[in-house]
Amino acid sequence: MSEANFSGIGTGLVGHGALIERLLRGEFICRVTDEDGWRALKSPAVRERIETYLNQINRTVASAGEGEVFFCGYAQLGEAERKVISSQFKDICQALIPLVEWLVLVQEASGQDTPLTEGAPVRLTELQGRIEETPAFREQLGKLSQYRLFGSTSSNVDAQLKLVFKRLVELGFLTRPNVEKQIYIATGKLDYLYEVIRFIDETEGLNLEAQAETATQRELI
Amino acid sequence: MSSNLHQSGVRLLRMLGRHAETVMDVYLSGAVDEANADAGVLKKLTEAGILWRPEEDEGLRLTRSVRALLEEGLKDERNRQINANVGSALATIKTLANHYKEARSHSDYSAAEAYLADLSEHVYAFTENLRYSIRVLWGRINNEFGYVGTISAKIRENELAQSQVSELLNGLELFQFSELGEIASDIRELRKLLVTTLQETLSDCTQELSVVQARLLELLGRFRQIQGRTRLLRGWLLYTDMHPDYEPMDHVAHRKVPMLFNRAEAMLADAHVDVHNQSQEQELMEMVARIKSISRLDLKPAVKAAETSVVLSAAEDFDIPENPLKQDVDDYFVAVIDSGKRQSALVYLQEKALPWDSESWIYQVIGGFEGLSEEHKSFFELEPLGEPHPVYTGNFIIRDVELWLS
Repeated sequence: MSEANFSGIGTGLVGHGALIERLLRGEFICRVTDEDGWRALKSPAVRERIETYLNQINRTVASAGEGEVFFCGYAQLGEAERKVISSQFKDICQALIPLVEWLVLVQEASGQDTPLTEGAPVRLTELQGRIEETPAFREQLGKLSQYRLFGSTSSNVDAQLKLVFKRLVELGFLTRPNVEKQIYIATGKLDYLYEVIRFIDETEGLNLEAQAETATQRELI
Repeated sequence: MSSNLHQSGVRLLRMLGRHAETVMDVYLSGAVDEANADAGVLKKLTEAGILWRPEEDEGLRLTRSVRALLEEGLKDERNRQINANVGSALATIKTLANHYKEARSHSDYSAAEAYLADLSEHVYAFTENLRYSIRVLWGRINNEFGYVGTISAKIRENELAQSQVSELLNGLELFQFSELGEIASDIRELRKLLVTTLQETLSDCTQELSVVQARLLELLGRFRQIQGRTRLLRGWLLYTDMHPDYEPMDHVAHRKVPMLFNRAEAMLADAHVDVHNQSQEQELMEMVARIKSISRLDLKPAVKAAETSVVLSAAEDFDIPENPLKQDVDDYFVAVIDSGKRQSALVYLQEKALPWDSESWIYQVIGGFEGLSEEHKSFFELEPLGEPHPVYTGNFIIRDVELWLS
């Protein structure tokens, strides 16, 4: 796999056409979604070439999640670009609450100590079983599936879950490597999401971590 | 005396072997299930110092030494014992070395030999212990403290391991090789034990411990990050619950937009071929050559090739039958010459009610004109009639052609 990439260095941009296309399509490139592309962007020489190419059309390679996730940004911001960024920002802010509720639900329902992160698998059938068994989880799912992001009108756990997962795949937070199996893998876009929340937390001084900590301690007492 | 020691040692090991089941049960469960055990066996094991009762109302447990033996032998990862007490080991080593030197100077060789054996035992035990501790630490790092379940427990275990590492490193600093060198002076055996062996081991171990320390810190960082993410999510939910009207500030309105939010709009238009770019001509030609013509209309049954058998005979003269379309075009040219007027090709086609498709007709007319020799061509003028393409500039759509005599 990586050999193809290294030979791509020699043949110029031709070998990375698909990767550039994915970037321009607004996709997030991470190890899970496109391992070859991710490796290519990790290599400084290739990244440099792609960057030079993108700069010609006022684009740049941006990265998040400690350099593990790549996406396409503007090299220079004019009025039009600012408008686009502003609407993207609004989109992500609106998606934050439903997504966070979903992350917490998955973590709690699967009894995990760690929240979902890039590369972590979610087995839908197992998750569904656990949610169906517990009324509190059922209620949480019902609530979050009705957000506009997911837009479910169903009252049935199976339909709600399937819709939520389908939407998350469409939005690029999950991938489904095998269409015959109900196993989903979290992508680097989730790590991007954590970074967005952390950024908001730090810049607005919300002290989210400290609040969560005090709340847990109060529960323990 | 030594044969007695040998015998009782063998007896002890046999006893451990005979009651292996009981011993392992105790090792795993912590205390003896006295209700289901043979009281006689328990008594024997207690007398042999394998089991002991720490408090009156406590159950029988394995003694520390047996436990340590099993932990070490089984490489049990739950083993968290690290002997970081370097100070006392160092003191013992120094004392024994002094005993040995004194015995030697008094020419008491048998005592000196015993002290030296004892000293070697201590030095080797000390270095082995150190290496073992490091191995235990690596084991914990490699399974990421997998023997405890939660992230908080892992963090606590990591902190414990870090304190043990610093204790070990501090202990190792107690070793002053100048001092040990002085004690050893010029006695070869002592120098080998106290200076060469120890120094090599200690420098290896110190290096490895600093690697261990770095890895532990790295791991702690990761645990904290995971824990931080969980808290971040919960904190977010708590905060938005408490402040239902909360909306994040507009972080992209600043003059300098954080890189995180600089996401370009998806843009990819369908690709179009640029027919005017000569540098792409080669590729275009190749692409065109690869296009397979699929024409399902007027497919005549492919009888010709299959059914006519090939007869090889002497070569004979043959004529290429005149193409009727070409013939008609020639007639058209002749008609123009005859009339001497401008003549539209399409009008001619209709007037003569020729069976050709108008497009092929015009093509053939143009082809016929272009195919004339230069001399003949100069007699005619051909003007294409049509309009420029409404979208793609530079393309001219020919609807008809007119031919006249120049």
